[in-house]
Amino acid sequence: MAAEPELITAVIVDDHVAIAAGVRYWCEQADPPIRLIDAGARLADVWTGPGAEADVVVFDLELVPGQPQFGELRRLVDSGRRVVVYSQHADDATAIKCIDIGALAYLTKREGPHHLVPALRAAARGMPYTAPSLSGAIVADTAPDRPRLSPREIEVLRSWFASSSKELVAAKLHIGVKTVDTHITRARVKYANAGRAASTKSELVSRALDDGFITIAELNER
Amino acid sequence: MGDVELAQQTSSQLHRGLRVAVLLTASGTALVLGMINLTRRLDRYDLPVVQFAAYAALAAVLAVEAVLVVRDRPWRGWRVPAVALVLAAAAASYLTVPGGRIHVDWMFGAANWVGLAVLLDRPLRTVVAFLCAHELLAFLNLALLYEINRYSLAGFATGSVTVIGLPLCVAVVAGVLGRISEEAAAAARELERVRTEEAVAVAAHRRRAQRFAEVSETAAPLLEGLADGSLVPSDPDVQSRCAVEAARMRRLFAETDEVENPLLHELRHCADIADRKGVEVELDARGRWPSPPVVVRRDLTDVALTVLATAGSWARVTVVGGDDLVSVSVVADCGELTVPEPATPGVRVETVSGGGTTWMEARWQPSPS
Repeated sequence: MAAEPELITAVIVDDHVAIAAGVRYWCEQADPPIRLIDAGARLADVWTGPGAEADVVVFDLELVPGQPQFGELRRLVDSGRRVVVYSQHADDATAIKCIDIGALAYLTKREGPHHLVPALRAAARGMPYTAPSLSGAIVADTAPDRPRLSPREIEVLRSWFASSSKELVAAKLHIGVKTVDTHITRARVKYANAGRAASTKSELVSRALDDGFITIAELNER
Repeated sequence: MGDVELAQQTSSQLHRGLRVAVLLTASGTALVLGMINLTRRLDRYDLPVVQFAAYAALAAVLAVEAVLVVRDRPWRGWRVPAVALVLAAAAASYLTVPGGRIHVDWMFGAANWVGLAVLLDRPLRTVVAFLCAHELLAFLNLALLYEINRYSLAGFATGSVTVIGLPLCVAVVAGVLGRISEEAAAAARELERVRTEEAVAVAAHRRRAQRFAEVSETAAPLLEGLADGSLVPSDPDVQSRCAVEAARMRRLFAETDEVENPLLHELRHCADIADRKGVEVELDARGRWPSPPVVVRRDLTDVALTVLATAGSWARVTVVGGDDLVSVSVVADCGELTVPEPATPGVRVETVSGGGTTWMEARWQPSPS
């Protein structure tokens, strides 16, 4: 099937066949459908062949169980790829770290097509997508250098996490669905451009990784 | 622990007192009286140096005992060598006593007291064995080396009565004292055990009564209704009331579990009830929060269990917490619900419905204290 210009292409890196098959089904059912390339567990297929042309990379953070591959994520982001992290991992620190590194979306595998498909569409346009799980992670973030969010933004994020429905959030807070989106996006932008030393530090770290000064294992201990 | 400790303390004080008394008596008899008798009749001994060596041996044993008394330590492994030293000193002394007049010799009275000082904390039979050994030693000495006649035997027997009698009395008293203090300690332990059991039983009873009261308010009318037929199990309203009561009971049982995060633990139990009816429940928690008191947890989980009991096919339960706010939310495909009235003033409940979905949120703001 020849790719039409408006058709979104995504490449998935995930060692679980069932996940890839499920995501493929959701992509086919989406309207308009999304073309999915299955790279299996081979990261190389994201860099070469049809995978290299894909608009969005769906990235399983734990190709090796217990070892989140922040280094690979960083390399993808640094080379300008639009990455949606799709992870088994549900802990807040991991989610925030992925956003810090520059992933456009972070979704846990419990979040189904209702969130993955919009995330893929947003990422294809270069826009971030904030899923409820990430929203919860941001609300629960207590890091001393976390970005300052307004009480309204926190309220919206908390409600989005709790209800997983923007209509319900809008009804509860007596605001429009668009306003809900605005608050979520604004909070998310603060996190992406947090002004933390992360952007320069990430470059430093990935260079140190490339040069073999530190290992992935050491990095994960932090 | 109070009574047991007191009993042990009393018993150890008594033992120490007795030990000091025996040490003083032994020192008085062996060292003071012994030295007086020894020097007064020094000219009659064939080998005075042996007598002084025996005296020095007893003095050494008593000196060690004095140090041990001060430091409040037992003899342990040194006990046997010390007793052997006392008996050896006695044997050496008797061998060089002139004319077989052992029963008036300084050593005859001294050895038993010194031996008793070493063996005071041993069982009575050990002390008796020592006293007999010493007596036998003296008697053999008399019998083998000297001629026995009525007078010497009578003299020996008379001397033996006081020499054995007094230390034996003390040993018996020490034994009795030890038994009494052991019994007292055992009695105190038993008393404490009974008291603890009683306190546990009273607390458990109070808790059960309280729990029964809590359940009986809502569960009992339901069960009565089902029993007398005024409530029909096929009625969806009755079914949901049953589900709510089941979840309440599960929560009640879960409340006493020792867990790190009681709120989540209880929510999991509530979710389990819905899970059993085939509702797909998702439970997600974010953040850390101070553990709310039981009444607050009930208010927070009440919302969840009410919604879960009436959920059709799916439900999402979430907890977001921080130091200043704990929020429990349930979203599910259920119709309109009556909001359970929170019992504590710090808890607020809000409901939003739309498109066949109901979202209930209970939030608790810990009062700053």
